[in-house]
Amino acid sequence: MEGSCDKSDKCPRRSWLVRVLVGMNLVAIGSLLYPITRFLRPRRGTRHGTLNVVAPFRVDQLRPDADGEWPAPFEFAGKPCVLVRTSDGEIKAFNAICTHTDCTVKCRPEEGDIFCSCHGGVYDLNGQNVSGPPPRPLEAYKVILRGKPGREEIIVSRT
Amino acid sequence: MSRAPEKPNDSPATRPGLRDFFYDRMGMSVAAGLAAKKKVPIHRSTPFYFLGGMALFLFVIQIVSGVLLSLYYKPSPDQAFESVQAFMTEVDFGWLIRSVHSWAANLLIGILFLHLLTAYMMRAYRRPRELTWATGILLLALFMAFGFSGYLLPWNQLAFFATRVGTALVGVLPVVGQDLLLLARGGENVTGDTLSRFYALHVAILPLLTLAMLGFHLFLVQHHGMSVPDREALRLGGSERLPTMPFVPDFLLRDAVGWYLVLGILAALAALFPWELGEKAAPFSSAPEGIKPEWYFLFMFQALKQLPGHILGIEGELLGVLFFGCAGLVIFLIPVLDRGQISRLVLNILAALAVVFFIVMTAWGYFDKGSLRLILGASLFLGVLSLAISFSDRGTLVRRILWMLTALATLLLIIGISQELYQ
Amino acid sequence: MNALPRCLVAIALSSSVAFSVAAQEDAPNEPPAEETAAFETLTEDYSCMFCHGKTGTLSGTEKNQHLIVTKEDLVVDIHWQKGLRCHDCHGGSPALDDFTDHRNDPSFRSLASPQDIPVFCGHCHSNAQYMSRFRPSPRVDQESEYWTSGHGKRLQQTGDVKVATCVSCHGGHNIRAVDDLESLVYPTQVAKTCATCHSDAELMEGREYHGRSFGHQQFELWSKSVHAHAMMEKGDLSAATCNDCHGNHGAVPQDVDSLANACGTCHVKVAKLFATTKMKHQFEKTDLPGCATCHGNHKIHSPTDEMLGMAGGAVCARCHEQGKHGATLAGAEIAKQMHDELAQLVTQISSVGEKLDRAERLGMEIRGPRFRLRDANDALTNARTLVHSFAIEPVQQAVTEGLTVTSEVNSDAEAALQEHTMRRIWLGFSLVPIIAVVTLLLLYIRSMPSTK
Repeated sequence: MEGSCDKSDKCPRRSWLVRVLVGMNLVAIGSLLYPITRFLRPRRGTRHGTLNVVAPFRVDQLRPDADGEWPAPFEFAGKPCVLVRTSDGEIKAFNAICTHTDCTVKCRPEEGDIFCSCHGGVYDLNGQNVSGPPPRPLEAYKVILRGKPGREEIIVSRT
Repeated sequence: MSRAPEKPNDSPATRPGLRDFFYDRMGMSVAAGLAAKKKVPIHRSTPFYFLGGMALFLFVIQIVSGVLLSLYYKPSPDQAFESVQAFMTEVDFGWLIRSVHSWAANLLIGILFLHLLTAYMMRAYRRPRELTWATGILLLALFMAFGFSGYLLPWNQLAFFATRVGTALVGVLPVVGQDLLLLARGGENVTGDTLSRFYALHVAILPLLTLAMLGFHLFLVQHHGMSVPDREALRLGGSERLPTMPFVPDFLLRDAVGWYLVLGILAALAALFPWELGEKAAPFSSAPEGIKPEWYFLFMFQALKQLPGHILGIEGELLGVLFFGCAGLVIFLIPVLDRGQISRLVLNILAALAVVFFIVMTAWGYFDKGSLRLILGASLFLGVLSLAISFSDRGTLVRRILWMLTALATLLLIIGISQELYQ
Repeated sequence: MNALPRCLVAIALSSSVAFSVAAQEDAPNEPPAEETAAFETLTEDYSCMFCHGKTGTLSGTEKNQHLIVTKEDLVVDIHWQKGLRCHDCHGGSPALDDFTDHRNDPSFRSLASPQDIPVFCGHCHSNAQYMSRFRPSPRVDQESEYWTSGHGKRLQQTGDVKVATCVSCHGGHNIRAVDDLESLVYPTQVAKTCATCHSDAELMEGREYHGRSFGHQQFELWSKSVHAHAMMEKGDLSAATCNDCHGNHGAVPQDVDSLANACGTCHVKVAKLFATTKMKHQFEKTDLPGCATCHGNHKIHSPTDEMLGMAGGAVCARCHEQGKHGATLAGAEIAKQMHDELAQLVTQISSVGEKLDRAERLGMEIRGPRFRLRDANDALTNARTLVHSFAIEPVQQAVTEGLTVTSEVNSDAEAALQEHTMRRIWLGFSLVPIIAVVTLLLLYIRSMPSTK
């Protein structure tokens, strides 16, 4: 059976069909490839399950603001992380979830401690629970500094 | 008779140089010759030839989506769950790719079951296609292993405990059981090492085996051509006299319709019912309520659950595992066992029992509610019966029985639905 | 405590089959002075065990059993581990080789009655100079504290010998270091230790404090409390057990006016809030026991929002409904308001949380909003604490803060759900080319010349 065009009177219709078919095929394949190419694009940033994160402020920004407020805890692996500076100038990072109930603690630079306002729990700048209801010290993270001295980036790590 | 793979509008004399270049150097003429020679017989059961193509298409989808998933997945117990969760939410279309991978896996197994069932009904395993059948059964086992190993990878609670239950079954085997268990789990318990093992199995070992086996299976199909059911051959006076269509492009185009349909169904399923992730596995917590394996293992799971601790002094579970092992072996050996009218009758009865067993156990295990079980079971029966009817001859006793069963299943379905609505 | 001597003891004792006891070379009495902490093998002429040993001459009769000292006891004993031997506490001379009754020896420190025990232990434990050898800053006030306790006073004043003395809680010859996990006074053991007497109905029968009968249910009640849960299940050693509220050596029942201070040692913020309220003064005026009025004493449950307000089960209603103890109706109104405020925030948080769950199940990115929702929970906890100011404004303020957060998170969650709907719509669009191709393919196949 010969399928050549010039012998068939269906020919005009078929060539039209073929063209549309090829076009639609391309559209369909495109709609397949589009999500794949998007999938391959690097993600904007991974938060969950991450092992380390760059703090949203540098070392020189780690000081009380005009109102005496210490930089607020930022998110690290789905939990808040608080950065403190000890009296020796060492920077430490802690999981900011109070070990008593589930509140977020904050650093009080004037008192030189970490404080949970929910039940008045107090930790020292090493994360040790010193007074109030907290049963355990805060979970500590590792801190790595990178960059120009005095203006280093702060990298908090769980490993 | 033959048709060139290219569109007829193209003039054969003016092939573009580049195409010519590859045509010559890649031995395309051999492929083209094969393609031109390949014919597909046309008869009532021809649509079932599409199942293999659909399965192949789904396997390709699995490879593509699997490779994509592996770009973000991290196979360690600390990070597996988080990495899956992360790419489902943080990566563009990550949710889609994962859902497609999970849904395609299930569709693939479903289609393979149908492929197996129809191949059996067409008796496509007859000489000289025994090896085609055997490789097919092995491929089904490989894909079930794919499903089993892939189920654990997201490291969620359900998968963790289902894997624990599933691997524990190996341990009941006499003599080698404990060693096999250690081999499967990579330790006494399901741990991070088990995850690594399953990962290696899922992305390296099984794909290699499957590709080799699949290549062999396809070669055999190509080599022997399509099998024609006796009944059709008889009806039309010998298989030589059956009308055929060329594989390229007639059958291929019809195949493409099937692929696109599968693709559409897959996209709809993935978008409308995204695969859930569940809770992260907590190995030391107590097992959650209602742990279930994937549906295609459910019949074994449900049956083993019913077995008493000891039967005739032998551990019940061991007996169950051996039973399923034997059943698998029987299916594998069907080409050898089918030796005449009587053995065929026995096989048919066994097959019918197996299908009934599968459907009853699956429906029973899938739902907790009686009416829903009834609906699922009756619908599955209707599906299988409609298949069987299409293979039975008009006016025979078998067909009459099948129709009666269909009526019964319909009645059960109606009862189930009305119960469900009445509640 | 000190691992080395302990090991030495263990090795020495297990190797000596018959527990041969021997004496030190010279035996100083009246605070034992010269020995070193290291373990020394006792020489054979150390004679105490001839009678007091397990197979000694005293072991024969039932009524002498309390005079028998066993190796098992001594091995765990902190005094033995620190190198103290029988005569270091009991006096007398271990070198005596004949069976003389040492009770006549003037240097033997007799323990004729329980009344002697505190003095007996205090002999060393109240001696700052002596104790500082074992601990740089020892506490030496246990004995004097003991005499101020309910136990001590009763022992001294009524001669009731059934009251607890040092050995009741610390043990006799098996006194473990206080930080030993199996010590009778280790935080997790304290309650059980107290309960040996205080849960004994017969023993507690007729005993009373300031006219209030003792009862014997305290341990049982405490076991059901939030403190017991924190201690036993969560392993929080700082959770309150008997001695945290009653003191240990100076154990006394809490009085109405001192109770809030006891709770306040841990619950700092609440105590501070409560101290400045009218409620506190009213409680004191009407002899209500501060915190315990609402929270109970031994069986202190984890507080719930239902305790607040005027509905059934609310503790405020106990007084404010009937104006008991000078409670006002205005107070009732505030209680109701506070309850409603909290309830509102709780409902908001849970409904927003559910929305987030739903969005998460649908695979949407909601961890940003989820993180933000923590602030609402913080505000809720804060508001619950501020209830103890018994004023509506601080509670209202905290709740408003929380509600601001929840409304923000709510709009984020809705946006996520909206996005999910959009996905379905986009799916529809993507199905269009697929369906179109299928239709066209079918058309094309039909248009193909039929085959034979």
